[in-house]
Amino acid sequence: MPVIELNGLTKTYGGARGITDLSFTVEEGEIFGFIGPNGAGKSTTIRTMLGLIYPTGGSAKIFGKDCLQHGTEIKKEIGYLPSEVFYYDNMKVKDLLQYSASFYKKDSRKRMRELAERMELDLNKRIDDLSLGNKKKVGIVQGLLHEPRLIILDEPTSGLDPLMQQRFFELLEEENRKGATILFSSHILSEVQRLCSRVAIIKEGRLIALEKMSELKGSTYKKFKLAAKSDVDASAFGIPGVMEWKSEGGEVSFLFKGDINEILRRIAGLELENLWVEEPDLEEIFMHYYESREGAGA
Amino acid sequence: MNMYLYELRMNRKSAFIWMAALAGIAGLFMSMYPTFAEGAEQFKEVLRTMPEEVLQALGLQIDSMATLLGFYSYLFLYVLLCGAIQAIHLGASIVSKETREKTADFLLAKPVTRSKIIGMKALAALTILLITNVVYFGAAALIAETVQRESFSYSAFVLINLSLLFTQLIFLAVGFAAAMLLPRLRTVLPMSLGVVFAFFMLSAVGATTGDSKLRYLTPFQYFDRAYIVQHKEYELEFVVTGVIVIAVCALITVIRYLKRDVHVS
Amino acid sequence: MNLFWRELKASRKSLIIWIIGIVAMVGAGMGKFASLSGSGEAMVELMADLPKPLQAVLGLNGLDISTVMGYYGMFYLYLVIMGAVHASMLGANALAKEERDKTAEFLLAKPISRMTILLTKLSSVVVQMVIFNAVMTVSSIAFAAPYADGGASAVTSDILRLMLGTLLIQLLFASVGMAIAAAGRNPKRAGAWSAGVMLLTFFLSIAIDIREGIEALRFLTPFQYFAAPDVLNEGLSAAFIVLSIGVTLAAIAVTIAAYRRRDMQV
Repeated sequence: MPVIELNGLTKTYGGARGITDLSFTVEEGEIFGFIGPNGAGKSTTIRTMLGLIYPTGGSAKIFGKDCLQHGTEIKKEIGYLPSEVFYYDNMKVKDLLQYSASFYKKDSRKRMRELAERMELDLNKRIDDLSLGNKKKVGIVQGLLHEPRLIILDEPTSGLDPLMQQRFFELLEEENRKGATILFSSHILSEVQRLCSRVAIIKEGRLIALEKMSELKGSTYKKFKLAAKSDVDASAFGIPGVMEWKSEGGEVSFLFKGDINEILRRIAGLELENLWVEEPDLEEIFMHYYESREGAGA
Repeated sequence: MNMYLYELRMNRKSAFIWMAALAGIAGLFMSMYPTFAEGAEQFKEVLRTMPEEVLQALGLQIDSMATLLGFYSYLFLYVLLCGAIQAIHLGASIVSKETREKTADFLLAKPVTRSKIIGMKALAALTILLITNVVYFGAAALIAETVQRESFSYSAFVLINLSLLFTQLIFLAVGFAAAMLLPRLRTVLPMSLGVVFAFFMLSAVGATTGDSKLRYLTPFQYFDRAYIVQHKEYELEFVVTGVIVIAVCALITVIRYLKRDVHVS
Repeated sequence: MNLFWRELKASRKSLIIWIIGIVAMVGAGMGKFASLSGSGEAMVELMADLPKPLQAVLGLNGLDISTVMGYYGMFYLYLVIMGAVHASMLGANALAKEERDKTAEFLLAKPISRMTILLTKLSSVVVQMVIFNAVMTVSSIAFAAPYADGGASAVTSDILRLMLGTLLIQLLFASVGMAIAAAGRNPKRAGAWSAGVMLLTFFLSIAIDIREGIEALRFLTPFQYFAAPDVLNEGLSAAFIVLSIGVTLAAIAVTIAAYRRRDMQV
């Protein structure tokens, strides 16, 4: 059963922000990446799913139930970490977490201590006095406290140091193994790459790609980088499948999709100092996606 | 200069609203003057037979009651009320803006001293109040000309209107100081309204009971309009009191603004 | 219930400050009565003869300020104003603050319906106003009683009536404030709009006092619904009780309809 089901979801504001005809599904047990640059509509999508704002068209379902009609019921099983951490005055960390837990009919005191310990969070500090990173930790603990079946994370890692980020990811993977589905929204591709099994790429409110992570970065593309002793003649590589051709000094890099023998034969004709063949990272594919879409659109 | 202009721009809209409100109150009440004056005229004779001390206690001189200035003196209390809310709100919000909206790390990271920041803010607030008063005075003079039945003392009229500016300056300073003394204030409006109406009520109680000591406690009573109409001048002791209040509040504001820890989040 | 207690706890401090302010005002105001009550007789006669606009100018409106209740009725208006300021700010901020402080995302991601949130906030607002009103009532009776011939019993029923009127006005302004916060686009502006409505009706009320012949407009301003002279002479007006409750319910209906469909600004 799909955990999240978006069907032509549309939200238009007066201005430029918004999402248009967004459809995808997230299956149970997935860690689903939701990526796009700032202002692409990630937060709008999530806020629509949570019922903070209302769609102008289409629908969103979570656990097979409509987000508008069954919002309260659905939210019992959702943990949410907003991008900007919430802020209640005059509360200790412990008070806020207990307050948060009080909305779910579960005894979470033990889990609160465990999570706080793992995230190295001082429960007795006042929230006002915490640093951004520590507030983020409060948000994380708050989101995971009631062992939700669906965890929604909106840009969760900003402000966390690398060690804490690592712990946080481990925590997420643990929850995922226990059966939780995770929607992970981010513009930092490497973290999505590290965690997610599938990604949706969104830009200017529209879905531009929906891929398995393995397919996205897997066999299809190779990234070539070569340092030649003499200038490389670009025309020799003017075959279908070569893209992102960059030549800087003696160094040349490009992406290639196609018959690997074909390209190796051409490289063999060069006098090389060094050669790298890599899996392209998501960032490059991502940029490529953008550029190709824009090209097609223009 | 950039900060000064920025603050002016940020407060432009609300300043226009306040100007319209002040002029609107003057217009609304003055439009009733003709009917009021007719009714009052008839009772002037009755009033004359009453003992002087009773009338004194009521704060308005009988002779002036039915005159334009007498009526204007009365309605001016409500202009003051509105002006006071504008001033205290402006003062409190302009100095607490950065902490309330969490933009302190933006402003304080810029290469400007805190004294310059507070100076520019104060200057911007003063400018706004000055413009408000100029606009209000123009509107009030126009309205008074329209509804007058017989000529009135222009110097008294000017002095009364000028007391709006002075009262606003006092409340502006109180607003500054209040924002400094309540650093965790999230919304300025309830505090502003509460303080102004508390003073307003004190003023009403003082006026009804004729208590002279109570007058020092509420800025609404520093510029007694019956006295202005009669003597064409302010009462020195209350002018001094007003200046002292402003000085103390300004001192509190400057010291706190320069010294305090700014909590951004 | 957790949200309810959280709401009360969050506004505890400001409520205490308001209460202290109100008690101080009632105390200071009634304290002044002692100095006044001596100079009575002549004034009483004078007052009765004054035309209505002049009485309004003097802040009397047909009240005999040489009696305790007449004097109390004179500054009762200011207690109503304080109640109205408190109520309209409270109503507007109760809803607007979640968006303003960016806690809307926290609260609305919880398994609790908007309707529940709204009703909980509404009840916390009502509770605070009832406390505010109760303190005002008790302190009024306590400070007025020493000057009354029959002690507390002589003033209690009048004060209770006046304060019931005040409570209705508080409820009205709070519900209007909530409606403004729920229906208005910008949560930061909700307080200002609410205050604007309050001040506008206040000035309208004064205009009605000064000018004869526009009494028909009284229904437009809550400050005229339970004016002290009317209440002291004739009791609470049934028509205005119905009207104030009607406006309150209408404002709550608007609040519910608007809040359910509201796009939270975050």
